[in-house]
Amino acid sequence: MNETLKIGKFEFNSRLFIGTGKYENFEIMKKAHEASGAEVVTVAIRRVDLNDKSDKSLLSYIDTDKITILPNTAACFTAEEAIRTARLAVAAGLPNWVKLEVIGDKKTLMPDNEETLKATRVLVKEGFTVLAYTNDDVVYAKKLEDAGASAVMPLGAPIGSGQGILNPNNIKIILEQAKVPIIVDAGVGTASDSTIAMELGADGVLLNTGVALAKDPVRMAKAMKLAVESGRDAYLSGRIPKKLYASASSPVDGTIK
Amino acid sequence: MKLIINGNEKELDCENIINLLNSLNLNKDTVAVELNKEIVHRQDFDNTKLNDNDKLEIVKVVGGG
Repeated sequence: MNETLKIGKFEFNSRLFIGTGKYENFEIMKKAHEASGAEVVTVAIRRVDLNDKSDKSLLSYIDTDKITILPNTAACFTAEEAIRTARLAVAAGLPNWVKLEVIGDKKTLMPDNEETLKATRVLVKEGFTVLAYTNDDVVYAKKLEDAGASAVMPLGAPIGSGQGILNPNNIKIILEQAKVPIIVDAGVGTASDSTIAMELGADGVLLNTGVALAKDPVRMAKAMKLAVESGRDAYLSGRIPKKLYASASSPVDGTIK
Repeated sequence: MKLIINGNEKELDCENIINLLNSLNLNKDTVAVELNKEIVHRQDFDNTKLNDNDKLEIVKVVGGG
């Protein structure tokens, strides 16, 4: 029996959220989304290119009967920019929830937690369901939750870096203290990274590059689906403790001599 | 009149936002508009008048993580 993932008023069966960026083309993206079983995909909000006459629309490759679109505020460097972007996303017709990203540094894309906290307070007041992208700072994770974030999303490693879960200890501490869902977002490079996040007790995983830039994105999307499911099952199964010495699996008595 | 659209100055004579979107060949159902830092909701596109030196952000949904 698999319990659902509840974030604010939203509820999902799949604990894997996936992005729409960096794919070679929209056809591959759509197939990868299907293979992943994801019910949430993230998108960005950007200026329309007034010189671009092409009609190809990302939205026509997303089945919104099965998928809920989660807008992000990527590449916003201030609370103000992020707040305006979130409002524009709703004005564009998207549901009023947001992956809130306020970036503090262009090279590492690490979050500016202070600005993220400011933006969280404003957006929560306006009725947004806020999923706050942050790092593994235990104090800020709690502050964001207290400010009304419906989910807190600590990065595993820098966005797109594929390094996996670099600080499992802090993520475990964040999980212990949290009363809202914790979704590991960023840095997932391969299936085992997702499984590790879920085995720690994460409520979900959000990834983009790990699938989009894999040599076979559709196959990797399937791998990520299985990885998140198996990690969740393993976590709920109550693993054995780690022991220094052996503990035989076969009976020690009754052996022939 | 002069309008600053997505950071670029343009000389256009558009009475309201619907006129502007039409003259830019943009579909009103796939964009969001901010006028002088205030969101303009879709239902208000035809009754929101534009003035000289108005600053607009016209955005759409694109791929992202």
